[in-house]
Amino acid sequence: MLSAPPSVPDSATRPVPDALRQAVQRLESGGTVDLPTLPLGVPEIDAVLPGGGLRRGCVHEVGGDEAATGFCAALLARAGAHGGELLWLARGCDLHPPGLVRYGIAPGRLLVVSGLRRSEEMAWAMEEALRSGAVKGVVAESGEPVGLAASRRLMLAAEGSDVLGLVLSASPGVPTAVSRWRVTGVPSSSDGDDGGDDGGDDGGRAVASKWRIELLRCRGGRPAEATTSWGDDR
Amino acid sequence: MGRRQVSTGASVRSCASVRASAAPRAAPRRILAAWLPWWPTERLARRHPEARERPFATVAEARGRMVVAAVNERARRAGVVGKMPLAAAQAVVPDLVAYPADPAVDAHTLESLARWAVRFTPRVAVAGPDALFLDVGGCVHLFGGERTMAHSLREGLDRLGLTSRMALAGTPGAAWALARYGKEDPSVAPVAAGSEELKEALADLPVAALRLEPGVAEALSSFGLDKIHALFDLESVGLGKRFGFGLPRRLDQALGLLDEPLAPLRPILPREVRRAFAEPIARAEDVRAATALLLGELCQLLRRTGEGARRVRLVCCRVDGEPQSLVVGTSRPLRRTEALTALFAEKLGQVEPGFGIEEMALSAEVAEPVEEAQADWTDGAIEGGRVGAGGVSPHHGASPYHRDSERGKLSGLLDRLGNRFGFDRIARPTPRDSWLPEGAVERGPLLASATSALVASASARWPEGRRRPVRLLSPPERVEVSPEPGPAEPPPSFRRRGRRHRVRAAEGPERIECEWWRHVAPPRDYYLAEDEDGRRWWLFREAGDTPRWFLHGVFA
Repeated sequence: MLSAPPSVPDSATRPVPDALRQAVQRLESGGTVDLPTLPLGVPEIDAVLPGGGLRRGCVHEVGGDEAATGFCAALLARAGAHGGELLWLARGCDLHPPGLVRYGIAPGRLLVVSGLRRSEEMAWAMEEALRSGAVKGVVAESGEPVGLAASRRLMLAAEGSDVLGLVLSASPGVPTAVSRWRVTGVPSSSDGDDGGDDGGDDGGRAVASKWRIELLRCRGGRPAEATTSWGDDR
Repeated sequence: MGRRQVSTGASVRSCASVRASAAPRAAPRRILAAWLPWWPTERLARRHPEARERPFATVAEARGRMVVAAVNERARRAGVVGKMPLAAAQAVVPDLVAYPADPAVDAHTLESLARWAVRFTPRVAVAGPDALFLDVGGCVHLFGGERTMAHSLREGLDRLGLTSRMALAGTPGAAWALARYGKEDPSVAPVAAGSEELKEALADLPVAALRLEPGVAEALSSFGLDKIHALFDLESVGLGKRFGFGLPRRLDQALGLLDEPLAPLRPILPREVRRAFAEPIARAEDVRAATALLLGELCQLLRRTGEGARRVRLVCCRVDGEPQSLVVGTSRPLRRTEALTALFAEKLGQVEPGFGIEEMALSAEVAEPVEEAQADWTDGAIEGGRVGAGGVSPHHGASPYHRDSERGKLSGLLDRLGNRFGFDRIARPTPRDSWLPEGAVERGPLLASATSALVASASARWPEGRRRPVRLLSPPERVEVSPEPGPAEPPPSFRRRGRRHRVRAAEGPERIECEWWRHVAPPRDYYLAEDEDGRRWWLFREAGDTPRWFLHGVFA
């Protein structure tokens, strides 16, 4: 089982731990590790993620301010890049799909269930979506933490599917999340790591979608941080 | 009926009688036609008994005035005829009672009457606006002969308050003609279709007895062709060329030279199954098993009618007489037992058996035709293939079969979500033509027939050049801006929920006018404003004497 792990970016420097990790992951997740991961397109972060991108068939947690909504939309769009349905489980009714077009979610692609105020409802709906395999990605907005049991159920439901699960929550709420992110808006004109990269139609804009993306925790990866502006060009 | 031979050659009238008598027929076709001469008025009189004994007419609007549509016998005797202006009719009969005509209800009620007539024969068809055809071949002996049968039908109709004229003949056309214009009532033509005797029976009837299109009878009589026998010696091609080919066709149909199939009413198949238990059941497993059993039967019923259930109700009758009812909805017509069972499994916990359930009934309250596709077996084939390959294929949406099975999975998911949270809480937001941001989204169909086509047509309608927030506040939140900027300038800072946000960068204004055809409101000037924390807000100024500022959304 340990033979021929897929090469990862830094396998040259730390060959054995990564190979071992890959093998363990493949055993744990029932084959979903072999699915292509979803690269963010931010080199600093893709470099530390195992497989060079976000893994499908598991649940990731995203916190932060409104920028996290855009970040989730962008990841969801990547999950549905080759077709398929996308699902958004919203707490309230304030999600505005025209604003998500910019992050790659075309009109009519997204199904929205609104008004899931209680976290049990959210967890149940997300579990159903992950288990059914009918969608390529699901975002669930969560108010309060979902608890360990529900969290494990989510993990089991996601395993073996090719669905990207994202929990959008202000506070850490899903203990079994494979990775935890924090995404916040930063002023457009500040000098960040990636500050000059205002490509695409953001060229002449005074206000861009500029985010600080922090990878707080990732199974099999290291924490990382990057500041980048996100638009239609990514 | 099925054994009847279909005679085709319409123009070989001379030898047809020989052929028809030579053909072996086990049960000759016999059609009983019942004509209801006063149908629209007598139908109404059933509901308005006070009008029965008075001259009575239905009126409809034609070219801006009220015109008599149908009359009852009394009004006819008093001189009121169809197409007479109401004013003229009332001049003739001052105490004329008039009700609005409703042809749709007339037709619908006639269909109900046809269902009532199924007690005589299973094959009953509606013939035009005011007559019924009963295909009684083969069941006459059950009613003691043709004449007795006609009498018992008349008795039934009399009890319903309906006047009728009827006739029995070998073809629908002949029966219709004799019912309306025959001298006797009931007039029974004991002759086979296609025979010379039938020809004689019809010979003296007016041409209108052939169910002609409007105007044809008048055109024929202008040539002196008043009676049917005048048409016998004319070439059918010549007749057809001059009067339309409906005329020779109707003639041949009446004489039995051309087949005329009836379109009998489809029996209404029940979409309900029920089961009574010898011993009341109370255990959850028993309720579940009984539900699964009933669902299987219901799905079989639905398969027979080519339908699928959109809403299924389960009623459990308890020993103490208190019914328990559960409803399950689906996002598309469904008749797969497993899928429906899964939907009910969620809800069966709500059933309180109490002292026991003695009867359970399951009905498809709303059913829709299922588009029968080959998906049923391709689904299985793809699933099987995938299981055989031992993993999930990473490339989805490539083959059409695959998309179909994805659709099945999606509708399953939507059913589960919809039954728990309500289908009104699930939406597929699609663009809507509106100037206002709050009106730019509509729910859209949950299961698009072709998602890709929808995307292609819709993507043009949310302009990507204009930036829209990811969250839209509804209603917009009032914010304080001070100091007030110039007319086309962004606010330097604003105060929201007691917190001051200093605007570092801004884009705008984007002016959005109100939709004046819906309601009148001042235009709005929108600004995308970024504060020093890097949060991006969508603010607008409502123009007016004292401009007011609102926060309408938040950008990522």
